[in-house]
Amino acid sequence: MTALNEILLASFTTPMHIDTDPASMLWLLPLVASIAVVYKATKVHRIRPYPFFKESAVLFGSILVFIITAALILYGMTWIVTDRLPAILDKSAF
Amino acid sequence: MTAPSWKDNHALYLITIGLLAWLIPGAGHYALHEHRRATVMFVVIVLTFLVGLYVGSIGVIDPIGAKPWYAAQVMNSPAVLLMGSHVAHVQRRAESERTGFNTAKTLSYRVYGRPNEIGQIYTSIAGLLNLLCIVNAIYVAHLRATEQTGD
Repeated sequence: MTALNEILLASFTTPMHIDTDPASMLWLLPLVASIAVVYKATKVHRIRPYPFFKESAVLFGSILVFIITAALILYGMTWIVTDRLPAILDKSAF
Repeated sequence: MTAPSWKDNHALYLITIGLLAWLIPGAGHYALHEHRRATVMFVVIVLTFLVGLYVGSIGVIDPIGAKPWYAAQVMNSPAVLLMGSHVAHVQRRAESERTGFNTAKTLSYRVYGRPNEIGQIYTSIAGLLNLLCIVNAIYVAHLRATEQTGD
């Protein structure tokens, strides 16, 4: 087995190091792009480069806006429950 | 005596297209002469699956500890079944050697934390995207067959 083959196999048998931090959320971007492209590939009548790219980009943006909106709503709810509500009730939530 | 029409072989035709689409992502559409569509599907689905494997390692395909994820991953291709059986075999051997007080380091594909999550999500979403393509290929094949027979 050549060294290149060994390196290739090793890279698929050992996981990457990814920290549990907000930056790891950026991993959703390539996945959203994949979903947008494959979904549009099943929907458009004919695949022509420019209109296909445009439609995929619009769907990519729509999904991203929805995810950010949902994240903001959830963050707001969490902030109310953990920060504001205990202050209103004048006692700790935990 | 006339040759059997598409209508006679309709179910077999749809099953063949579905199996092709499962065997290789995009192959169902390729068989329907949708070459550009098939190429886009193949490249994107295989790339998503490989990114998942690269991030989380082959250990993210776990037929023992993560059955629901595995069910989605299997939609990628039958090749995932082979990977799953290999991973399960390695995990079982590692477990039995560990319980046998063997201190020698054995091969194990265990993966934890964020790489496991991201790897599982990528490979499973790739599988679900291929399921979408399989269903779409069968639907297109059905439409074309019914158009040919004039139903």
